Amino acid sequence: MTAIDGSVLPAEAAARTSFWIRAHEWATTVDHKRLGLLYISSGLVFFLIAGLEASAIRAQLAFANNDLIGPNTFNRLMTVHGTTMVFFVGMPIFFGFGNYLIPLMIGARDLAFPRLNAFGYWLFLFGGLLFYFSWIGGDGLYGTGTAPDVGWFAYSPLTSPAFSPGNSTDYWILGIMVAGFGSTATALNFVATILCMRCPGMTLGKMPLFVWMMLVNGFLVLVALTPLTAAQVMLLFDRFLDSHFFDTQAGGSAVLWQHFFWVFGHPEVYILILPAFAVASEVTPVFSRKPIFGYEIMVAATTGIGFISLGVWAHHMFTVGLSGPVNTFFTASTMAIAVPTGIKIFNWLGTMWGGRIRLRMPMLWVCAFLFEFVIAGLTGVMLAVVPFDWQLSDSYFVVAHFHFVLIGGLLYNIFAGIYYWFPKATGKMLSERLGRWHFWVFVAGFNVTFGTMHFQGLLGMPRRIYTYDPGRGWDLLNLITSLGVILQAIGILFFLVNVLWSLRRGEDAGQDPWDAWTLEWSTTSPPPAYNFEKIPVVQSRRPLWDLKHPNDPDWRYE
Amino acid sequence: MAAEREAKHAGEGGIELPSPTPWPLLAAFGMTLGFAGLVTHPIVSMVGGVCFLFGGVGWWREVLPVAHEIEVPLAAPARRARLVEPVPETVDHLELGEGGHRMRLPTHVFPLSAGIRGGIAGGIAMAALAELYGLLVHQSLWYPVNLLSAAAIPSLANASTEQLAQFSTEGLLVGVIVHVLFSLLVGLLYAVMLPMFPRHPAILGGIVAPLLWTGLLWTSLGVINPALNERIAWGWFAASQLAFGLAAGFVVSKMERIATLQSAAFAIRAGLELQYDEEGKE
Amino acid sequence: MTTASATPPAPAEWTLPSRGRVGMACLILTESAFFAIFIAAHLFYIGKSLNPPYARDVLELPVLNTICLLSSSITITLALRALRRGAVGTFSWLWLATILLGLEFLIGTGLEWYGLIYRDGLTIDTNLLGTTFYSLVGFHAAHVTLGLLMLSGTLLFVVLGWAGERDVERIDVLSWYWHFVDAIWVVVLTVVYVIV
Repeated sequence: MTAIDGSVLPAEAAARTSFWIRAHEWATTVDHKRLGLLYISSGLVFFLIAGLEASAIRAQLAFANNDLIGPNTFNRLMTVHGTTMVFFVGMPIFFGFGNYLIPLMIGARDLAFPRLNAFGYWLFLFGGLLFYFSWIGGDGLYGTGTAPDVGWFAYSPLTSPAFSPGNSTDYWILGIMVAGFGSTATALNFVATILCMRCPGMTLGKMPLFVWMMLVNGFLVLVALTPLTAAQVMLLFDRFLDSHFFDTQAGGSAVLWQHFFWVFGHPEVYILILPAFAVASEVTPVFSRKPIFGYEIMVAATTGIGFISLGVWAHHMFTVGLSGPVNTFFTASTMAIAVPTGIKIFNWLGTMWGGRIRLRMPMLWVCAFLFEFVIAGLTGVMLAVVPFDWQLSDSYFVVAHFHFVLIGGLLYNIFAGIYYWFPKATGKMLSERLGRWHFWVFVAGFNVTFGTMHFQGLLGMPRRIYTYDPGRGWDLLNLITSLGVILQAIGILFFLVNVLWSLRRGEDAGQDPWDAWTLEWSTTSPPPAYNFEKIPVVQSRRPLWDLKHPNDPDWRYE
Repeated sequence: MAAEREAKHAGEGGIELPSPTPWPLLAAFGMTLGFAGLVTHPIVSMVGGVCFLFGGVGWWREVLPVAHEIEVPLAAPARRARLVEPVPETVDHLELGEGGHRMRLPTHVFPLSAGIRGGIAGGIAMAALAELYGLLVHQSLWYPVNLLSAAAIPSLANASTEQLAQFSTEGLLVGVIVHVLFSLLVGLLYAVMLPMFPRHPAILGGIVAPLLWTGLLWTSLGVINPALNERIAWGWFAASQLAFGLAAGFVVSKMERIATLQSAAFAIRAGLELQYDEEGKE
Repeated sequence: MTTASATPPAPAEWTLPSRGRVGMACLILTESAFFAIFIAAHLFYIGKSLNPPYARDVLELPVLNTICLLSSSITITLALRALRRGAVGTFSWLWLATILLGLEFLIGTGLEWYGLIYRDGLTIDTNLLGTTFYSLVGFHAAHVTLGLLMLSGTLLFVVLGWAGERDVERIDVLSWYWHFVDAIWVVVLTVVYVIV
């Protein structure tokens, strides 16, 4: 019997390995593969919880003047749902992917700083637990505390001590801050690993695109996350030490919070999506049986996205009253960032074109991603136009837009990555049949919910309201939106069943089930603790292609 | 240093990896508690501080002066990774492309002149059908022309049908310019794109594409320009676009393809040589 | 690996940057972003305090502190040069000098704050100046403190013989952190004391 890290356990020893011994192994591990799996599983657990929160929100909004959930609880659900999805689902799952895959893809045995890696994971987990503790703890002053209820972006002056007494906002700050330290540590680790631990022959121009995107992502995290920490410290000082960072009574500016938050917040969404692009860039070539189209341009576009994303933040603030020239600048920069993103879409299409496409589960998810993400990009460019945004800011149109990006872009690629690398991590294939049920039901539900949602927004339904009057033309649309959630939930159920069933009864994967070309497919499934017996030497971007086709190796053409 | 360690262990019993350690967990826990005390009770922060201290010192000693490692034995030979083996199939070779890189498909494309001719043919076909509509429905040659220019000149869109049926210099000029420009551009687009469709370029270019862009216009024009939208007879419009597609597609696909000069010598690609045969070789 | 055609030669030299240096560079990058926000807040709030004390009335250019801190960058560089030569004794003295200079900076800052709080009545909750001043200068001082702890620990280990010439790379990386702290001070000095 094999342990999940590839170490061999004789049958009797396996039976005797008690739960506590195994728990201790996992608690003290510094192995990037185990930490990667911990990140992904914890992220998926938070995903389910946040999904339940979203379901509660949609249940409340399904009918006008519904009284299933009161306004205060609704605010908490809405805040916690958003915060969880961004900080405790999106980021950790992709940190998990990066953790697991980066050393394998660059031919290293572990990350640059393995213990820092563990530190980062536990900070994320404990930060998330602290955040969720707020549901039961934190009675606060006047009993008005408990879970954060100020929106995931916690605007001032709502978060000032005057308007948010009690500890709800403090939990928002502290949970994210603690997890944020972990994220910064992990990003540092990724950058150091990628720059310092590549195997011989793997120049920067020969790394898999996944690694390139995680590198740019790492830099983005380093530059964008500490501004959030700084702003949160400022808020903490305002709340505990009576300082005046965002205190308008003392001449301060509440809009300053918005600037600081979105200076973090916009790069954050690119931090969320770049790893998704990384997954797509690995899956598309393998399932089109062609090398990625335009490797160099993909790298350039990714780097461009990284830089430009630091200069678009105020497109979240078009309705705040910034001056005309400022609004114009941010419209221009926002449209500019659509260009490298569009280039990447064309490159993926160019990879698929002329290839021999295998529509297995990972590829299905990537194809769906391309479709949904283009829609998301189009609505994003629409919102970049200031007058249009003035009508639709804070409406459900924006909610629909970013769910298309986050679910259509982020989640679909998470699923693609899981279907693609689950065999490598566990030695078992996920079931294609259950996978297709998962895919079609979920995608149908997603489009029913969030496609419809655009129209509520266009008809003027604001965000963050806990109920609405009937007769505004929103009733049927909201009902449809909420019903779509049922389909999505069923889809997720198929996914869970697939994972659990395949762990036990899945088909054996072998070393290289997809006939792929990057280094992780040259070890066993799952890899041994040390990854490779001998550190590989590579000559091209597709080392396994070179080995499989010695009469037509890539290094002749690159 | 790492390379030396690797050389030492190649072929031996084990590989050194960082040893598992509980100190990062304790430090993280302590750090969290330290912050949690702010929203609970100061004693929580104190406990957190102590945990963080223990965790930090433990971690420090784990790493300095020499990082603690364990030796992990190599997996049993039966469970080790197999060497990646050459596959029996051989790969179909195109010639080498630009700069020694692989060829980019398509290797043969239509010349620009094909696009121009296709655009002209399509433009004539489309205009013919549009004029037919004008004559049959409005008894006017100028109505379709003026309607087209109404897309560019909004005031025309609000003009009455009788006015549109009259001759207008402005309408004629703008209409002709728009028509010629778009016909040529779309014709060129056909020349570029048709080689890229592996199967049934005639159906895709002749039927599917015109129907697609007509459909797109039909759904969106109501929002973009409702006044214009009211006046367009969509059936006739679709027919005229189909005429364009079929004509342009037919003309383009009948032209001869020329080789992209990817595998030609630099001298030829740079235009230094004036004579070369169709294969692009000297 | 068997191949039917010639393989290109494996890379003769394969050197990559050291993890410690890249890690420290990343830390410096992320901390710079952190400070940038506090600096931005301070710049934004210049002249906006609604009540006294105002900056031009109570803030004096901390000349001695600055000289000490910036000199400590020189002594730390010299210390490392000595260590590379193997002169552990010289290194230890120069390293001690760095620590003492840094300590002077902290004490000087403390004295300045004492005066501001008790003589001028400026605290973090007094007005916008107090808010941004204490947080910005305070975080910088906290970084100096952390640096001094690390420097003192290093000196202790060297003096006790637990660390020495063979650790020069690690100690060099630590000196990067110290230089960063100095560089931040130059910016803070300009933004807080010069642009008033």
